[in-house]
Amino acid sequence: MKKIVFPLLFCLPLISMAQKIDRTKAPAPGKAPLIQVGSPVKFTLANGLQVFVVKNTKLPRVSATLALDLDGFMEGNKAGLGDIAGQLMKRGTTTKSKAVLDEAVEYLGGSLSTSSLSASASSLKKNFPQLMGLMAEVVLHPALSAEELEKVRKQTLSGIESSKDNPDAISNNVMKKLVYGSNHAFGEITTTATVNNVQLDDVKKYFANYWKPNIAYLVFVGDIEPETAKALAEKNFGSWAKGTVTNPSFPKVTKPAQTYVAIVDRPASVQSVVAVATAVDLAQGAPSVIPSNVMNNILGGGFSGRLFANLREKHGFTYGAYSSLSPNRQVGIFSAESAVRNEKTDSAIQEILHEINVIRNEKVGDSELVRMKNYLSGGFARSLENPATIAGFALNVARYKMPADYYQKYLTNLASVNAQQVQDAAKALLNPSQMHIVIVGNAKQIAKGLEKYGPVKYFDLEGNEVAAPTEVKADASLTPEILIQKIINAAGGKEAIESIKDIQLTGTASVMGQSLEVNQKMVLPGNMVSVMSMGGMALMKQAVVDGKYTVSQQGMEAPITDELKAELDASAVLVPEHTYIAKGYQFKIVGAEKVEGNDAIDVEITNPAGKVSHRYYDANSYLLLKTSKSQEVPGRGAVTQQQFYKAYKTVNGIQLPSEELIDMGQIKINVKYTDIKANQGLKLADLK
Amino acid sequence: MQKKIMLLFVCSFALVQLFAQGQSIQFEKYTLPNGLKVILHEDHSAPVVAVTTLYHVGSKNEDTARTGFAHFFEHLLFEGSENIKRGEFDKYVTNAGGQLNANTTQDRTFYYELLPSNQLDLGLWLESERMMHAKIEQVGVNTQREVVKEEKRMRMDNRPYGSFLTEMLKRAFKVHPYKWAPIGSMDHLNAAKLEEFIQFYKTYYVPNNCVLSIAGDFNKAELKKKIEAYFAPIPKGTDVKRPNIIEPPLGGEVRAVIEDNVQLEGVFQAYRAPKQGGEEYYAFNVLSNILSGGESSRMNKTLVDTKQLAVAAQSVPFFNEDEGVFITLAIANAGVKAATLEQNMDSVVAELKTNLVSEREIQKVKNQIATEWVSSKASMAGIAENLANFEVYFGDANLVNTELEKYNKVTREDVLKVAKKYLNKDNRVVLYYVPKTKAATK
Repeated sequence: MKKIVFPLLFCLPLISMAQKIDRTKAPAPGKAPLIQVGSPVKFTLANGLQVFVVKNTKLPRVSATLALDLDGFMEGNKAGLGDIAGQLMKRGTTTKSKAVLDEAVEYLGGSLSTSSLSASASSLKKNFPQLMGLMAEVVLHPALSAEELEKVRKQTLSGIESSKDNPDAISNNVMKKLVYGSNHAFGEITTTATVNNVQLDDVKKYFANYWKPNIAYLVFVGDIEPETAKALAEKNFGSWAKGTVTNPSFPKVTKPAQTYVAIVDRPASVQSVVAVATAVDLAQGAPSVIPSNVMNNILGGGFSGRLFANLREKHGFTYGAYSSLSPNRQVGIFSAESAVRNEKTDSAIQEILHEINVIRNEKVGDSELVRMKNYLSGGFARSLENPATIAGFALNVARYKMPADYYQKYLTNLASVNAQQVQDAAKALLNPSQMHIVIVGNAKQIAKGLEKYGPVKYFDLEGNEVAAPTEVKADASLTPEILIQKIINAAGGKEAIESIKDIQLTGTASVMGQSLEVNQKMVLPGNMVSVMSMGGMALMKQAVVDGKYTVSQQGMEAPITDELKAELDASAVLVPEHTYIAKGYQFKIVGAEKVEGNDAIDVEITNPAGKVSHRYYDANSYLLLKTSKSQEVPGRGAVTQQQFYKAYKTVNGIQLPSEELIDMGQIKINVKYTDIKANQGLKLADLK
Repeated sequence: MQKKIMLLFVCSFALVQLFAQGQSIQFEKYTLPNGLKVILHEDHSAPVVAVTTLYHVGSKNEDTARTGFAHFFEHLLFEGSENIKRGEFDKYVTNAGGQLNANTTQDRTFYYELLPSNQLDLGLWLESERMMHAKIEQVGVNTQREVVKEEKRMRMDNRPYGSFLTEMLKRAFKVHPYKWAPIGSMDHLNAAKLEEFIQFYKTYYVPNNCVLSIAGDFNKAELKKKIEAYFAPIPKGTDVKRPNIIEPPLGGEVRAVIEDNVQLEGVFQAYRAPKQGGEEYYAFNVLSNILSGGESSRMNKTLVDTKQLAVAAQSVPFFNEDEGVFITLAIANAGVKAATLEQNMDSVVAELKTNLVSEREIQKVKNQIATEWVSSKASMAGIAENLANFEVYFGDANLVNTELEKYNKVTREDVLKVAKKYLNKDNRVVLYYVPKTKAATK
C-alpha cells in the first residue's frame, strides 16, 4: 500500500499537465470496455452430474449451486408441491434436526438455501469443504419430516391468504393461466386446496422422480481450483445414483383467436391492475433475443420506457407502467402492465395498445436507440461484478445450447442492433389483435366500453371463467319506505322485534390464527356490551349502558367522539332499520350488486352525524348480507372495511346472523355465535 | 480447556493469515491543495467504476431549529448545477447504464454513481458540478421538500413501527444532537429560508470536508489528471466546526408506550453505548451477532422458534462518531403482550450478563463476521464506501484491510464485560408499540 505523505509536492507537477475540460456539457463516454467473461472449466461425473468451475480469486470465498435442468412440471391438484418440497429440503436431514443444521451452517459462517429445482451454498474458502458436505447431506438425505411439512404448509397457506387481497398477485396468477392454459406447467395456480392436497409421500416421490444427478448441473464460483472442485464434487455427490427422469411434456400454447378482455371482479378496488399479455415464441439464446430485448426496453423498460413517459408523465394515470419480456425454450411471455385509477382503465388500455402499435409500425429514432443500448450495456457491465452472473452465463450456455462465446460477444451484438431489427422484433412478437387483456378491478365501475377491444369475459381469482356479474336492477317501484318495511318483515316483523327485551350472544372469533371468545349482551332499547377476550382476559370491550359510552382495547380506554357514540348507538339495536326513520337516518337505494354470489340491493345510509356507509340486502329475502364503510387512515387515504352476515337463525321469531366476517383488508375477523338466547330477563346491571 | 483455547487461537490466526496473503485492498490516498481527500482503488476485474463522495456532515451538524437539513441536501443536490439542468442529474446516469443514490446518517452524507468504466468521466463531472456550484433555488427547495415529506410519510408515518428511531433517540439523548433522527422536522424545513440552505451548502459542501473515493476499472495515472482537472478549481472552504457535546448518563430507565397503526405489539429497547471504533465497540458487534446473527442466534432461537413469542427479533448496533445506542427489538406474535415479550427479551440479555458464551458460539459469530467482512468487498461501491468511512471516522482507510483483526481479538470475557457494563435497565429506553385504541365497530 502506498501512502502519499506530501500531497502538495505530489500535486504540483500535475497542475501543469491538467487536462482542459469543458464543464458546460457532459463528457463523452470512452471506448466501450472490453468485457472478459471467463469460460468455465467443465467435467462430468460418472453418474452424469455436469460440473462447471468458474474460478475467481478476487475474494477468498466460494459458492456452489446445484440446478436441475427442468423447465417445470405439471403439479395438477397438488400445485405448489415443488415449492413446498424445495423449502422442506433444508429443514433438517436424517441425522440433524433443523436447529442443529442451522447452527452447523452458521458455525461455518456460511449460507445454504434450497428451492424446488436448486440448492446453493456459499462461504469463505476455508470453510467451504465442510459446508459442501452439509449441502450434499441436505440434497441426498433430507429428513422430510411430517412436522416440518406442516410448518411449511402453514406458511404457504398464509402467503396464499394474503395474496388473495393483492391485486398484483391475482393479476399475475390469472394472466399466467390464460396465457399458458391450465394444462401447462407454467399456467398452474397454487391454491389453498392444492396446498392442502400435498402429502409427505408426494414430496418423497417428487425427490425420487426429479432429483437425479444426470439432469443436474453443479456450478462452483470463486476462489477454488478446478481439481479441488472436482474432488469435492466426487466426494459429496459421486455416490448420488443416476436414474431415468421422464421429461415433462409441455403442450403447445396457442394464442387467442382475437384479443379479448378478461376481468377479475374486485368490488373493493379503487385501482385497476391492467396487463396486456401474450405468449411469445422466443427461446433463450435465440439470435432475436437481443433486438427483442432492446425493443421491450424502449417500450416499457423502467423510468425511461415509452409506457412510463405516456401513462405516467404525459397522462398521470398511474405511478408506473412497464413491460417485460421473458424468453423461454418452451414458450416465452410478454406483458405490459400498469395499475391505474378506476376511471382511467379504458384510457390506459388504449394507450398501451397505442404504444404497441407505434413500436410495430414506426422505426425507433437514433438517439432513443443509442440511449437504450447504453442503458443496457451499462447494466450488463455492472452485472459482471457479481460472480454469480458468470455462473448463470455458464449454465445458460449449457442448458440452452447457446454458442460458447454468446456472452463474450453480447456487447458487440447489442451495439449492432438497428432500428429495423427493433421493429421486426415488435412485429414478430406483439400482435395487438391476439392479446390477453387482463384487468383486476371493480367491474361495475370499469367494464363499460371495454367491448371495443374484444369480447369481455369474467374470471375468478383462480382463473376460472365465471358469468358476468349480472346487472341487478333494483326494483324501480321500491321506495326506501317500502324497502325498510320489507327488511323489517324479513327480520321477523315489527312486533317480534319489539318483543325482544334482552339478548345474549356467545361464540368465538378467529383473528390471524388466534381464537378469541366473544360475548355480547343487550338490554333493549339502547344498551349493549360486547367483549372479546382471550383466556378470560378482555382484549377489547365496547359498551353503551344507560347513556355511558366505553371503548377499550387491552385495558386502554379510547377517547369517546361523537362519531363513536353514533356507532355504538347503532350497534345497540337488533334490527337498526327498524329505527332509521325515527332517528333521522337517510336511506337511499343506489343500485345493485352481487354479494358472495347473491343479488343484493345497495343502499347508502347517512347517519344523523353525516357519516355515510353502505348496506347490502338480499334482493330476494331482504336479509342484510353486507355492510361497507370507508375510513380515512392517516397516510393511506380511504380504507374500506366490509362486514358480511351469514347463516341466519331464528331466535324468538326474529332472524339473526350466526356468523359474521369482518374484513379490513389485511386483517379478517371471523365470528361464529354458538349460542344466542333472548329474553332471559337481563338487567342493566348485568351489562358489565 | 487449555487445548480449546489453543485451537481457537490457531483458528483466528489462520483467518488473519488468510487476508495477509494477497487479498488486501491496494489503494492510494492523497489530498488536493483545496483540501479534498482522494482515495483510489484500481481493480480491473469487472468493467465498472464507483465514483463516490462522502461529505463529513450529518444531522449532528444541524442547528436545533433546523433539523433535517443534512438529509434534505441529499435530495436537493440532485436538482442540478450551473451546467446540469433541473431534473437531468439522474438521467445522465441512467442513460449511461449506471446507477446512483445517496444516504445520510447522523455523521455523514454519501453520494455514489456506479458506472460502466467507460463512463468514468461522467461520474467525475457530476460530482465536481455538485461540489462546485450546485443550484440551490427556491423551485428546487419546494420540489424536494414535498419529496422528503412523501419519504417521511412512506418510511416513517405510514410504515408500522416506522417512527421507532425518532421516538427512541429523543429519549436516549437529552443534549447531544443525536437526539433527533436524520429525517428531522418538517416544520423546520418549512420554516427555512432559501438563504439558510445556501449557507449550509457553502459551509459543508466544500472540498476540505469531503473524501472523493473511487474504485474500479480505471488507469490510475490518467484518472489523477482528470481529478485534478475537475476538482482542483473548486475553492477551499472555511474549516468545518464539529459539535463537541458530552451527553450525560441516562440516569434511569425511560419507558413509553407508542400507539401506532400496527396490528402486533412491539418492544424496542435502546441501551446507551460507547462510540464506534474502540474495543468495546467490537465486543458489542460480536455480542449483537450472538443475539441475532442468523437462525441459530439466541433471540431467533428462543423468541421466534422455541417460544413462538415473536414473529421477528433483532439486535442493531447503532454506533456513531460520538456516542452509540445498542438496540434490541422484537415484534410480538398475534395475541402476545409486549410485557411478556419484554420479560423474555430481558432474560436472553440477562443470560449474556451472567455466563460466558461458549467457545463454539463465539467462534461461530466470528466466522459469520469474517464472511460478512469479506463480502462487503464484493462490489466496487462497497469498497469505495468502506475506504471513505474508515478515512473519515478513524483517519485510517487501511482499516479496510485490518479491521477483522479487531473482531478476532474480542474474547468471551470482553462480551461478558460489555454486557454487564451497558445492558442495564438504568441505561436504557424501552418503547412499547401498541395498536391505536379505536373502536372496532360491530
